[in-house]
Amino acid sequence: MSGATTPAEQAAPPLYWQVQRRRNGDLFGLFAVVVVFLAAYGFLFPGFFTLPGFAKFTQSWFPLALVAMAQAILMLTGGISLAIGAMVSLGAVIAATTMAGPLGVGGGTAVVALAGLGIGAATGLIVVKLRLPAIVVTLAGSFIVGGAALLILPRPGGAVPMWLSDMLAGNTPVAFLILVVIVVLWKIYLATPLGLAIYAAGENPVGAYRSGIRVDRVLVSAYAISGLLSACAGLFVAAQTGSGDPVIGTAFTLNSIAAAVLGGIGFLGGQGSMRGALAGSLLLSLMISVMFFLGFTPVAQYVAQGLIIIGAVAIPQFRRKR
Amino acid sequence: MNSSTSAASFTRRASMVLRSRPFLTFATVLLVWAVASVMRPGFGAFGHLRYLVELASVIGLVAAGQTFVVIAGGIDLSIAAIVTVSAVSLPLLSIDADPTGLTAILATLVMTTFIGLGNGLGVAYLRVHPMIMTLAMATFLQGLLIIIAGGSAISSQNPLVAWLGNARPAGIPAGVFVWLGVSALVLLIMHATPLGTRIYAIGANPLASRLSGVPLQATTTVVYAISGFTAGLAGVLLLGMNGQGYVGIGDPYLLASIAAVVLGGTSILGGLGTYAGTMPGALLLVTITALITVVNASAGWRSILFGSLVLILLLLSGREKVRR
Repeated sequence: MSGATTPAEQAAPPLYWQVQRRRNGDLFGLFAVVVVFLAAYGFLFPGFFTLPGFAKFTQSWFPLALVAMAQAILMLTGGISLAIGAMVSLGAVIAATTMAGPLGVGGGTAVVALAGLGIGAATGLIVVKLRLPAIVVTLAGSFIVGGAALLILPRPGGAVPMWLSDMLAGNTPVAFLILVVIVVLWKIYLATPLGLAIYAAGENPVGAYRSGIRVDRVLVSAYAISGLLSACAGLFVAAQTGSGDPVIGTAFTLNSIAAAVLGGIGFLGGQGSMRGALAGSLLLSLMISVMFFLGFTPVAQYVAQGLIIIGAVAIPQFRRKR
Repeated sequence: MNSSTSAASFTRRASMVLRSRPFLTFATVLLVWAVASVMRPGFGAFGHLRYLVELASVIGLVAAGQTFVVIAGGIDLSIAAIVTVSAVSLPLLSIDADPTGLTAILATLVMTTFIGLGNGLGVAYLRVHPMIMTLAMATFLQGLLIIIAGGSAISSQNPLVAWLGNARPAGIPAGVFVWLGVSALVLLIMHATPLGTRIYAIGANPLASRLSGVPLQATTTVVYAISGFTAGLAGVLLLGMNGQGYVGIGDPYLLASIAAVVLGGTSILGGLGTYAGTMPGALLLVTITALITVVNASAGWRSILFGSLVLILLLLSGREKVRR
């Protein structure tokens, strides 16, 4: 079903827009909720409509958006990662230990990106070649990656150059622009053979294999991209806080899954779209900000968050089955 | 002739047992123990092995519920939170009118069973994916824990809990007896009752089992309730061993429970496996942790070693079939 949509992007425009409309239609409810929350946020925090206010808001969303994408690409292939949080921590500590040293910002970014790609690809190879379930491999992987982060920086410390923090987490919406670039890159990737096959490999791996798709290669590159995105989220978090912390990413594992599922990505692979995952992450991020501004106690925040996630996932299920 | 066929069937049965996942996992544990005892004389001492089994009993209890849930095709990510809720709220529930402390334990177990029941109702009737439902429940419980504990450790004065955590009737820790008792019950339910058969059925193929008349929603609900119960029991035992409960006490047990289930050869996809494999799986996990402690490495290396060893051991038991 979804596999047929992407060739359409290259061929006939009418079909392309039909497909786009259907994809957006599936997510109409979610988009509506996001708009309501955005309005509530703008009402509670009028500074939202100024440039610095918008920049600050997108910065609080940015890392969650990246990990939601990292999780979504895996879930589209029928996999999952429980090591996202550990990868974020690793990205943060690598950034905080390399950037202030002789490697500089460029070298540090390259090391973060290589670590993300390399660990992601290794995870993918283990899942694919050794035929181990992704959930268990990434569970074990979270210990290995988390341990590596602890080795690099046993306690919070290190430093990220001030100008980088100012650029990424200052008063200009650079983070938002980077996100736009990433989304455009994702669109381009979806038009390549490797990206095109993600849905096919996720929905029916055997069928995809028999149709001549190199399923193994598709999966490994999806894991590599996922690792890259998570490590880059770590870099951003390090820039935000100005230093590294070996356990700063822990919460991202669960939040990435929650965001992807809120965005309509299915656990079985091949269901959902990246715009949904992004909207899901935006909703989660808005929810946390709005509750903060309303002065919810942490307890009420936890309770409300739990209820909203269950509600948001359960209600569409009900509508579909009846 | 009669004796020869029975002998043949005996050898066939014996080879089946010898090649089964539970037996292989158990053999791995014994092998690791033997090698470690030769390398380090202290490792094989009765006292040390007894301590390992005692630690494994907590993981074994948590993993009992997890095994049921995984076989039924789900996963319970709220286990750590339930263990913590149990260990933190039990000291607060103690009633002066009952000097034995039994009512507090029962009340705690009823409470955690209801938490599990909540998970089950969400999964079965609201059709929320198990991962999301139990995750949201964990978030919810985290909020609840801040209300009841407020961040400080709470000491238990409950005599029965202290006895469970520290007593050693006949030289064997009471916790191990609890584990053995629960294991016998779990294996009985799993392999000798209609409920057990239904759990395997809904894990293997929910649609087919529903069409064959298996009460899908009720069975799913029961499975999560069992998981809540065993996690609560593990929390009670943990509280007894530690003497006090605090927020975060249950955190290590989520990953441990899933790892024990998978190391024991139960398929994470559901429908396949047995608690008989999870039990040596729990022992194996504790043994790995003990070996890593012996090596005396930094926290980072310990974590890396643990993850790598689990990954290597998974190759023994966790591989999926080729699908081409």
